[in-house]
Amino acid sequence: MSGEEAVVARSALGLVTVNLAAVVEQASVGADPYRIDADGAPYVPVGDGGVVLGVRLGDGAWAHVGDHAAPGACLVHADPAAGYALAAQACIGNLVTVRTGAAAGAAGAVIGKRGEGGRVIASFAQDVLARLRPGDQVAVRSRGQGAPDPAPGVSLRNIDPALLDALPVSAGSGVLAVAVRAVLPSMIVGNGIGRPTPMWDLDLQLTPATAARHEAAGLCLGDLVAITDLDARFNAGYRRGWLSVGLVVHGGSPQPGHGPGVTVIATGPAGAFAVRADPAGHRGLSEAAVAEAVAAGAGRELS
Amino acid sequence: MNVTTNADRLVTQVLAGEVWPPLGDRHGFRVDPDGRPFLLPGMGGVTLGVHCGDPATGYAGDHVEPGLSVRHHDPAANYALQYLSCIGNTVTVSSGPGAPAAGFVIGQHAYVLVDVAEPELRQVTSGDQVTVLAVGQGLALADHPAIVVKNCSPRLLSALAGGTGAGGRLEVHVAARVPAAAIGAGAGMASEYANTDLMGAYAGLGSDLSLGLEGLRIGDVVAMTDTDHRFGRGYREGWTSIGVISTGSCQLFGHGPGPSTIMSGPAEAFALVDDADANIGVLATAPAGRPS
Repeated sequence: MSGEEAVVARSALGLVTVNLAAVVEQASVGADPYRIDADGAPYVPVGDGGVVLGVRLGDGAWAHVGDHAAPGACLVHADPAAGYALAAQACIGNLVTVRTGAAAGAAGAVIGKRGEGGRVIASFAQDVLARLRPGDQVAVRSRGQGAPDPAPGVSLRNIDPALLDALPVSAGSGVLAVAVRAVLPSMIVGNGIGRPTPMWDLDLQLTPATAARHEAAGLCLGDLVAITDLDARFNAGYRRGWLSVGLVVHGGSPQPGHGPGVTVIATGPAGAFAVRADPAGHRGLSEAAVAEAVAAGAGRELS
Repeated sequence: MNVTTNADRLVTQVLAGEVWPPLGDRHGFRVDPDGRPFLLPGMGGVTLGVHCGDPATGYAGDHVEPGLSVRHHDPAANYALQYLSCIGNTVTVSSGPGAPAAGFVIGQHAYVLVDVAEPELRQVTSGDQVTVLAVGQGLALADHPAIVVKNCSPRLLSALAGGTGAGGRLEVHVAARVPAAAIGAGAGMASEYANTDLMGAYAGLGSDLSLGLEGLRIGDVVAMTDTDHRFGRGYREGWTSIGVISTGSCQLFGHGPGPSTIMSGPAEAFALVDDADANIGVLATAPAGRPS
């Protein structure tokens, strides 16, 4: 079988769906309450993992006094290897069902993942989030890794292809057309570069002050962004003439080398994309789209 | 380097370490920029045949760590070893047939990396104990308050060319200037730990991966453009960080030869002098400095 035939054959394979167990994370800090910001000032990190209330998809990436604050709850697994599998296999749009605790029976959806610790970010309605408690058990209906290329040369990562319809993404005319908030140079990427894309997000080293230089001052949670000269098929790294597109899944960070996090969903040669930046009017993943994904997923449960 | 420092006020600590073995996992392979699996030596143990002044790239290796790779078995003691060891510190082999060979720290990479002359290096293996005379954190330049110095022993500072120059800038000789686009894994981490991998130095791979850094050598002093490493490794326009290439060839994508940071400050605080000989190999013959 030639390489090309192998690619075609793989694209015809059915996606595998796996029920993954996870627990709602408790935010944790070390013995020292302080982290050091980019200017050398100590601060107490708030919102870095666990259950975060009041941070919503569509909020500004720097709207809250937080450190990597994500819109929803982070999901983890106590066993490190199972945690890596959780992070690697969970995909944006996957159904998340709460199995224990006061919110048992409620459902949400995966909207992204975070690096190193094997964390998955799940969005729930605010009233569900308020009933969630760290340690509650959830099930993630994972599906998406291995999805067929949406356009020639473009690889998908970390997204259930069914959710692409909820994003400003279309695969007509032989290229992947994507509307984004901003197009950013790869040198902006900090933590996450050189790490495996299916298990790690890419932090944008931007502050409200520097974002304006890249027409990204209006960056919001749930936005799509494009990063130039970045190949994110395996590890993320510099490759001239490539492009990666991802979803903004957590807010800014005072730490040097960190910032709003991007979970990569598509990567390929720049010519395989048609990217349109709309710094003011862009609309990425909305809470309504998440609710629809949850309803569709829950509906499949009943059918 | 002709510069006024507080070196006479620094404290030296005697730190124990152990030559740490290379570590693997049951799957073995990692993935290169083009998606090809590889299984290559590099990190950990005693790596022979690569010393300061030798090419950093061109090896069939991944994260090549020259000489000894040193850790401590206790996690907190290991952080102390990693954070407090500074480039140029004297390291003595304390056990095994290699004792009492001596070398010097060339950088950190989640291991303290130690260059030892090849004949002595051949007598050392994983598990051998070493002793580091750690001195350097807290080093400050009296006439350059905007520049933060770290991971740099007074001995290294003395051995480097340059110093306080015209207009009050700090002249630093550098073998290469690294564009911000080359900064790979290590961004966002503490700048007293591990190092900054440089992309764009994949000798032998595609030109679309190149940022012109294939000629780097182990021990080269380099300037990283638009980086602020005072409180961790981050991108900041108009700032410059100075590093020493302490690790070599990588096949893992987003990784590459890595500088350990020794200085960081506003770009205008430095007067960079391009000098192909800017390499810490001078430490091999430099005065030991105090205490010794």
